[in-house]
Amino acid sequence: MKPLGSLMHSVWIAENDLRQSFKSMRHVVWSLLFPIFMMFTFSFRYGEAGVDPQFIQFLIPGIVGMTAMFGSINETMSIVWDKSLGVFDRILAAPVSSTSIIVGKTMAGAVMGIISALVLLIIGGALFNVSFVNIGAVLLIVVLASFSFTGLGTIISGLASEPREAIMLSNLLRFPMMFLGGVFFPVDAMPTPLPYVARALPLTYATEALRAVQTGPVLTVFIDALVLLAFTIGTILLGSQILMKIMTR
Amino acid sequence: MENAIEVNGLTKFYGSLLAVDNVKFEVKAKEIFGLLGPNGAGKTTTIRMICGMLRQTGGTAVVAGFDVLKQPTDVKRRIGLVPDVSNLFGELSARINLEFMGKLYGLDKKTRRDRIDHVLELFQLKDRQSDLVKYYSKGMHRRLTIAAALLHQPEILIMDEPTSGLDAQTARLVREIIVDLNKEGRTILLTTHQIEEADRLAHRVGIIDLGKLITLDTPERIKQNTEGMRALEIKILNGIDQQTWIPLISKAEGVDQAFVAEGKIRVLSKDLSQTIPTIVNLIDKHGGRIENISVATPTLEDAFINLTGKSIREEPLSKEDYLKRRLSRSGLR
Repeated sequence: MKPLGSLMHSVWIAENDLRQSFKSMRHVVWSLLFPIFMMFTFSFRYGEAGVDPQFIQFLIPGIVGMTAMFGSINETMSIVWDKSLGVFDRILAAPVSSTSIIVGKTMAGAVMGIISALVLLIIGGALFNVSFVNIGAVLLIVVLASFSFTGLGTIISGLASEPREAIMLSNLLRFPMMFLGGVFFPVDAMPTPLPYVARALPLTYATEALRAVQTGPVLTVFIDALVLLAFTIGTILLGSQILMKIMTR
Repeated sequence: MENAIEVNGLTKFYGSLLAVDNVKFEVKAKEIFGLLGPNGAGKTTTIRMICGMLRQTGGTAVVAGFDVLKQPTDVKRRIGLVPDVSNLFGELSARINLEFMGKLYGLDKKTRRDRIDHVLELFQLKDRQSDLVKYYSKGMHRRLTIAAALLHQPEILIMDEPTSGLDAQTARLVREIIVDLNKEGRTILLTTHQIEEADRLAHRVGIIDLGKLITLDTPERIKQNTEGMRALEIKILNGIDQQTWIPLISKAEGVDQAFVAEGKIRVLSKDLSQTIPTIVNLIDKHGGRIENISVATPTLEDAFINLTGKSIREEPLSKEDYLKRRLSRSGLR
């Protein structure tokens, strides 16, 4: 198979996955309602009256990172559904390489993460008057974060034998990451040893980088981007290995 | 090319469970080959290996001249697979499902459109092409699954339990489609646990049980090979359940096999002249009244029972058979 043909296979697989996700707009709306709800809830700082503009500047980048995480991991869960419904077999029976399948599924996960994060970025920015100064850097971080979350999702999808197990595994990953990844509370303010745990999570670097884009320093953005890149490569390689094992067993 | 599929020594272990045991057969070009066996016999595992979806533990499978392990993509291009359960994308319409499959098989836009129109027409799904597949009936699902497998015009069609779970009318339609596809020159490998289906459709049948291929021949020859075996059909009038008589009749002298088929007791024996009086006396002694007794020609099911010692309808796998398969890898068999 020519490289372009293999890439097109991946594009079609990703397109097919996203088409199914967007076919059911209800699912998309529900999945976006959660971060929107969290954004409104946490926009009120407890113990203080009204919305704290300074905290909003802190919160919105965190919510954007968190939404990328939910979007990407949710999308990669489709692999488990595909396996349980047998539709994964349909792709396996076609003359498509295992690599193309993995690349396609990864593309779908990342695109969903990016789209979800951008929707929240627009909503959050418009409602709370938060402007992102360097949209190019924001996009870069969102893309890297979405790919690393997709990698994590792929690992879960490969390990889970059925959808219920996948939901439990993904919750085990998503919810601690949501609260420890610096979305609502600064990592440095967490009691020991939580900051060490937080430093092992890609969301921490995504939220930190998205804030640093606004307020600096640039070096933090650069280092966080590199860490996210390392997470992306590591998780995607591991996820691919697991999926490859399933496909060629 | 004489043989469309050549399988040699194909073996598959799932951990310590031997699912397919050194299976060897070939499917001749343009024939309908039936792989017949009870559920769990290893039929689906065998075809998954032939289709390159499952890696074998041992042996080889060559499809259209290509080795499945070495050239899986070449094999997959020449095969159309119809799985036992519809595995189409329920959230998408029939047309979009077919579009996606056409793309994966490398069909250009125009060819895709023409062929999709053709198969939708052929399987009478054109007026429902825009409906989400999840709203389709079982019969429509099966028709669309076959349509999807034919889109790239494969020379070999592999069908796993093609009529399983379908109503009689749809099952008949699917059987007609299979015969028509074969008449068009396609080789068809189908698996089934329905003896009548194998008998009616297949030019040659391979009987598989506990992962092993027990026999392979035309249905007629398999029936003849019951080596002088004769069949007797008995209906006991006051037998509430004919099954309750089986343990008793099975032990009677001269009886090789006894089982219930279509509400009657069916007895296989090599010497009916001796067996008939024995059975009649036995039933009478136990207070049974015979409503009807007749000699019948052996069927494929009789042959199956004679070869495997059990009915194809028996399920699930007995504990003894399960242990037999589990122990096989550790050499304890």
